[in-house]
Amino acid sequence: MQLIVENYILFGNGLAWTFGLAVLTLVFATVISLFVGIMSITRNRLLTVAARIYVEVFRDIPLLVSLFFIYFGAPLIGLPLDPFSAAVVTLSLWGGANGAEIVRGGFNAIPEHQRTSAAALGLKPWQIYWYVIAPQALLPIIPPFTGLFTLLVQSTSLAALIGVPELFRMAQIVVERTTIMEGYSPAFTIFGAILVVYYLISAALNALTSRLERAMQHRLKARGAADMGSVRRQAEESV
Amino acid sequence: MSYQFDTSYIWGQSDALGAGLLMTLKVSAISILAAVGIGILGAIVRVMQVRGLSAVVAGYVSFIRNTPLLVQIFFIFYGLPSVGIHLSIFNSGVLALVVWGAAYNVENVRGGLLAVPDDLRDAGAALGLKPIQFMLLIAVPLGVRVALPSVLNTSISILKNSAYLQAIGLAELTFVAMERISLEFRTLEMFAAIGIIYLALVLGLSIAVRALEKRLHRPFETA
Repeated sequence: MQLIVENYILFGNGLAWTFGLAVLTLVFATVISLFVGIMSITRNRLLTVAARIYVEVFRDIPLLVSLFFIYFGAPLIGLPLDPFSAAVVTLSLWGGANGAEIVRGGFNAIPEHQRTSAAALGLKPWQIYWYVIAPQALLPIIPPFTGLFTLLVQSTSLAALIGVPELFRMAQIVVERTTIMEGYSPAFTIFGAILVVYYLISAALNALTSRLERAMQHRLKARGAADMGSVRRQAEESV
Repeated sequence: MSYQFDTSYIWGQSDALGAGLLMTLKVSAISILAAVGIGILGAIVRVMQVRGLSAVVAGYVSFIRNTPLLVQIFFIFYGLPSVGIHLSIFNSGVLALVVWGAAYNVENVRGGLLAVPDDLRDAGAALGLKPIQFMLLIAVPLGVRVALPSVLNTSISILKNSAYLQAIGLAELTFVAMERISLEFRTLEMFAAIGIIYLALVLGLSIAVRALEKRLHRPFETA
């Protein structure tokens, strides 16, 4: 406990880096998700195949391997990245691949009759997507999306392995230093405390999610939109 | 741009990569089996609402799912020795993956068990089955079948996440690749090699899971 108090500046800085990493990643990952997710539901074969390959590569290769690849590989093609940028790029691409699957699931869950009914009413294709499909598909995927956010926040800890001075890296430094200087290992307490901090961050995110979800359910019910539960289930299954 | 991609280098490293792959498969296979077993037990405890134990399992699941696996691995490998539990790198790795995977499997199997219709419970009671008998003889065989796809997805995640164990020095695929890179600097070749290996493993398993899902669904299809 004393160690944590003594090193509060270190841990504070680490937490700031973790938050910076998380916020940037969440923003970029969301943009990529929407972009690639919509790409994958177009009728253009080239776009859907490109989206498919991107999604499969980033979802199937371990995040750690992608991170090392981008950090150590980028300089070789003449694009040196500092650890922080490499982490942001990798986590965003990984989050984007997973998010694109959620977005695709959301769109696919919209029953066909919504599209045909809108067409029968004389709406143009872009109007069908903008006014009918998109609002119904995008609102229900917010909960699985926030689940992805929690996962992304946890994954920022991987950045420690390429030297980003975020929370977990700081914990490693404190553990190593104390082991050398004081002759005993505080790993149990320090890593235990870090686990609790991550848990609290996730718990806060989860609390936010369930409030959001309740508010949304209210709104959707009032509008008499397609059953949100089924849309959400389909979206979640794709994660 | 003086980097020359040398395909023959990869073939020259096939022994080292093979050894790494074998370790990855070994640590994953053991972890997956144990995680499924513990997951089923945990789910039974949760669904039968065993007093006291149920809350413990719920807390465990929530804690593991909401904290980073990498920190859990470090906690187990570096933290446990200071409270007198000494584990080898391999055993620490297995323990970390089992604890992580089982937490997800508890939720997966619980979802499956909850999908078992209540009618069956009544029918079981009418036949004189005790709740535990109903659970083991009827709900588990049915529920696990329902939960199988998500359990297998978690199992694939365990295989992918075994790469995290390179951070504590387990000589699995990623570790081997990183070690060769630090010695010989054939970065792109090595990443291409392990990237393709992981992709083939995960993609192959995913396709198998999808086929199995279809096969399991067959009795319920209408004409």
